[in-house]
Amino acid sequence: MHARSRMWRHFDVWLLASVALLTIAGVAMIRSAIAGNETLAQNVPRQAIFGVVGLAIVVLTAAVDYRIWAALSRPMYIIILIFLALIPIAGRVGFGSARWFTVGILNIQPSELAKIITILVLAAYFARQKYEVQSTKILPRSLLLVFLPASLVLIQPDLSTAIVLVVLWLAMVWAVGLSLKTIGIFVLIGLVALLVLAPFLANYFTVDYPQEEDFFFLQHYQMQRVANFLFPDPQERFGASYNIQQALISIGSGGWLGQGYGHGTQVQLRFLKVRHTDFIFSAMAAEFGFIGALGFLVILMLVVHRCLRAARIARDLFGALICYGVAFLIFFQSAFNVGMNLNVFPVSGIPLPFFSYGGSSLISSLLGIGLVESVILRHKRIEL
Amino acid sequence: MHNDQGGKKLIAWRIDMTYAVMIILLGGFAIRLYDLQITQGEDFAARADENRFSALSVPAPRGVISDRNNFLLVQNIPIFNVVITPALLPDSLAEIEEIYRVLSSLTGVPIDQEGEPATRCTPGRGILQYVLEGDSIGPFDAWPIACDIDETTARIIREAMIDMPGVGLEILPVRDYTTGKLSASFIGYMGPISELNREFYEDLGFQAGRDKVGYAGLEGVFQDILAGRNGQKLIEEDVAGQLLREVGTVLQPTPGNNLRLTIDTRLQAAAETALAKRMEFINRSKGENASPIGVVIAMNPQTGEILAMVSLPTYENNRLARFIPQLYYQQLAADERGKPLINHAISDRYPPGSIFKLVTAIGALNEGVITPTRELFDPGKITIENKYFPNDPGKAKDFVCWKRDGHGDVDFVHGIAFSCNVYFYKIGGGFKGEIDSGGLGIDRIGWYAHALGYGNQLGIDLPGEEDGLIPTQDWKRRTQGESWSTGDTYNATTGQGYVLATPLQVLTSLSTLANGGKVMWPHLVKEILDGEGNVIEAIERCVLWDISDNILTPASEIGSNCNSMPESLRPQYDVTPDLIVEPWVIEQTQIGMQLVVAEGTASEYAQLEAISSAGKTGTGEFCDEVSQEKNLCEPGNWPTHSWYAAYAPYENPEIVVVAFVYNGGEGAVTSGPIVRQVLEAYFAFKSIDAANRP
Repeated sequence: MHARSRMWRHFDVWLLASVALLTIAGVAMIRSAIAGNETLAQNVPRQAIFGVVGLAIVVLTAAVDYRIWAALSRPMYIIILIFLALIPIAGRVGFGSARWFTVGILNIQPSELAKIITILVLAAYFARQKYEVQSTKILPRSLLLVFLPASLVLIQPDLSTAIVLVVLWLAMVWAVGLSLKTIGIFVLIGLVALLVLAPFLANYFTVDYPQEEDFFFLQHYQMQRVANFLFPDPQERFGASYNIQQALISIGSGGWLGQGYGHGTQVQLRFLKVRHTDFIFSAMAAEFGFIGALGFLVILMLVVHRCLRAARIARDLFGALICYGVAFLIFFQSAFNVGMNLNVFPVSGIPLPFFSYGGSSLISSLLGIGLVESVILRHKRIEL
Repeated sequence: MHNDQGGKKLIAWRIDMTYAVMIILLGGFAIRLYDLQITQGEDFAARADENRFSALSVPAPRGVISDRNNFLLVQNIPIFNVVITPALLPDSLAEIEEIYRVLSSLTGVPIDQEGEPATRCTPGRGILQYVLEGDSIGPFDAWPIACDIDETTARIIREAMIDMPGVGLEILPVRDYTTGKLSASFIGYMGPISELNREFYEDLGFQAGRDKVGYAGLEGVFQDILAGRNGQKLIEEDVAGQLLREVGTVLQPTPGNNLRLTIDTRLQAAAETALAKRMEFINRSKGENASPIGVVIAMNPQTGEILAMVSLPTYENNRLARFIPQLYYQQLAADERGKPLINHAISDRYPPGSIFKLVTAIGALNEGVITPTRELFDPGKITIENKYFPNDPGKAKDFVCWKRDGHGDVDFVHGIAFSCNVYFYKIGGGFKGEIDSGGLGIDRIGWYAHALGYGNQLGIDLPGEEDGLIPTQDWKRRTQGESWSTGDTYNATTGQGYVLATPLQVLTSLSTLANGGKVMWPHLVKEILDGEGNVIEAIERCVLWDISDNILTPASEIGSNCNSMPESLRPQYDVTPDLIVEPWVIEQTQIGMQLVVAEGTASEYAQLEAISSAGKTGTGEFCDEVSQEKNLCEPGNWPTHSWYAAYAPYENPEIVVVAFVYNGGEGAVTSGPIVRQVLEAYFAFKSIDAANRP
């Protein structure tokens, strides 16, 4: 008991404060972005409840010794695979792809949970192989671990989550210390594969391609998004190009200090589409301006930094990899989402962690923070 | 187990590298944000404003038109349209149905009826269809479901509107033509902005679909003056087009200017009645629509002010004021014989008949072909031998006087008075033994015709003025493929054959002789006034050219002294029509015309009590498809248009009138009384006005 209370001295208040701030700001921003839409209005209390539950989960997860997950990694992996496999059969169809289970009033999105479990499974695998990290066989084996959930996510179809999972694997392979030569060879193989595929894909990315045909696992709308990113049509009055145009106008109209909370004309008059999810960053930039957007990025960076700090001080490789994975996951998703808002990356459904509307995403992000806190609490062996 | 070496910890430099990548990316984002929000911030803010603000056109009231006595001929009245804004309708289907039911019972528009999609306010579909169409185009716009409902119904709907969200009442101004058919031929009508000139009008601030523009008559010619300029209001809208607030007025609408015409509505009505009754009489006595067309124009020969202008048949422009009903318009357009949409006074041309003898008359006197006192013999018939077979009587051609036993010895003034054909054949085309010089000849007839205003537009302020036709030898060669013959000249001297003129030109020839040789610019607009009734521009009278002033006005200068004449109406001449005519020539012709009324062809039909007048009859032979079918187009049997033109008082003419009845028979018999009635009416109104003046 004494040891336990001593342990809590290491609890990273900075980290919790930052994510709490982001979560609260997110709920507030969603409230503004609803812009009088009655059907969306219920999303505000929902997100607030998810936030409260999520922050409780942070504390609960922190209390549990993270090393227990290493032991449970196998059953967790199998359960998440079963869930993902069940999605096409039992899932709820939303926006053309099945991603949710409906349990009561909750829509559970297993692919969000899959991100955290993948971190745990990979971290556990690498930690077990820690003396043979240079061995070439761990590369294909760990890839296989990611490949199964990623391909199940892909057939939903949810390309962006699949990409997140694969990139997450790449980042962890990098962090665990795989030799540069092995990584180099792997990247080379990837490039060759891309070059072989490119001529086939090129056909689909021409501007006047009807884009109603799917290309193997790529849905036509996914290709269209990439095509729109590469060859935008400035005259378009609707669709992805229109959305991104409106996002840029929203961001740009923010100026230094923004138009004020609840007063962004682009947001409140609903010129900006999907304001509370994909383009919430644009809504925030419109209402809080350059200073607000920069402040947001700084707080986000603070979260990532605290996680990476935990990765450095963790007492074992498993904990370090968990922290690194969570840090990378938050950063990668944030960067991709913000980059999409700024029209430097193509449009995708990757959420803005802690901020954009979505219960599963928020809970799984906070779950990740809970794991990081758990690692920090136990980083000094003596106190055990 | 817990070895510090290998695998226990992450490799520090790789975490550092991760930091580096993150910093670079975030730095990139910060730069991009700075670029979007600060560097391009104003541009994007402007585009955001462009998104939410839009300009709403505020219609400018159109100017009204009154006659010379300030009697309103055209005014604006409100019409009421029931409109529905689809997005504001209640959510419950039952409530919507109830609203439709109430509106349907009040307006008579069916609830559910499929029909062809058409422009706004075209009836034929059900309320449901109008709303569905509106909803798909602009759910926050108001869509008319019933147009031009009567005022009582409008009041009932206005009361009931409180319980019917989404329903509105749109009040639009439309033209009310107080005199309708009586003045339609020169007032014209308005219509929607067509796709063809949409851009042109939109640049001027008009809103296609709502604003109408003048199509015909004065509404068309004075479109720019009457229309004014629409104002602009700035409004804020959301993405669905819902009006949030009015930000302000950018531009106040400028009301259109008003027109005051030279027309005297009373005289117009008198002229219309006289003409219509006469035509009705002819048609009833013949038992068919023998005379479909008739024209009366009255003008002040001193000023060129048109006092009355009647063209029959005409149309009811009030029926075209709200929207153009397809059936009615097609019916008007399909009337090939009457052509009611055409102003026959200026846009149609007919053989002028004997009134054209005045051309030959002044020409022959002025050129010395004849002297006023010299008498020529009219045996009733003269024969001209064929140029190429002078001794073959079979090829010779007879030219008869309308009086078969001839007028005997005829001098100049009696030639005019009795409209002696043979006299004019001889002086116009020459006659062996009497006028050996070959007479005036077709070339010179042409000059004098142009000098009196024939053969070219006169620049009247109405659309669609016709040129008429004064044939030349060259013209016949080109168009008929034949040489000019003496017979053609004979025909031309009497206004037959190829000669064609508009009633306005015939009127102008009389007016020119009446006022001593000045060809006046005929016009209908007296003053342009602003909304408060202040005169902005008083239209000045102007002389196009004067044949008696010893000055030849060059072709390029004709109309250049007409400051009030719109540039677009200014007539263009290749060769000047002006000539130098001796004043005594005009005087002799006037005496001849006075004799027409006193003892000549019009004496029994057109004499006025107490007021002296002078005139000239005309009976123009023609052959159209209808008469051809009846085999009427035989020599001596041809149908004739009836003409009479006169001015009064003879000493100091202040009114000149022409009447024309298509297929009206004898000039004096049919048109003489019409002109007489118009002149009588004119002087009667004049004395009434004089008595009323304090």
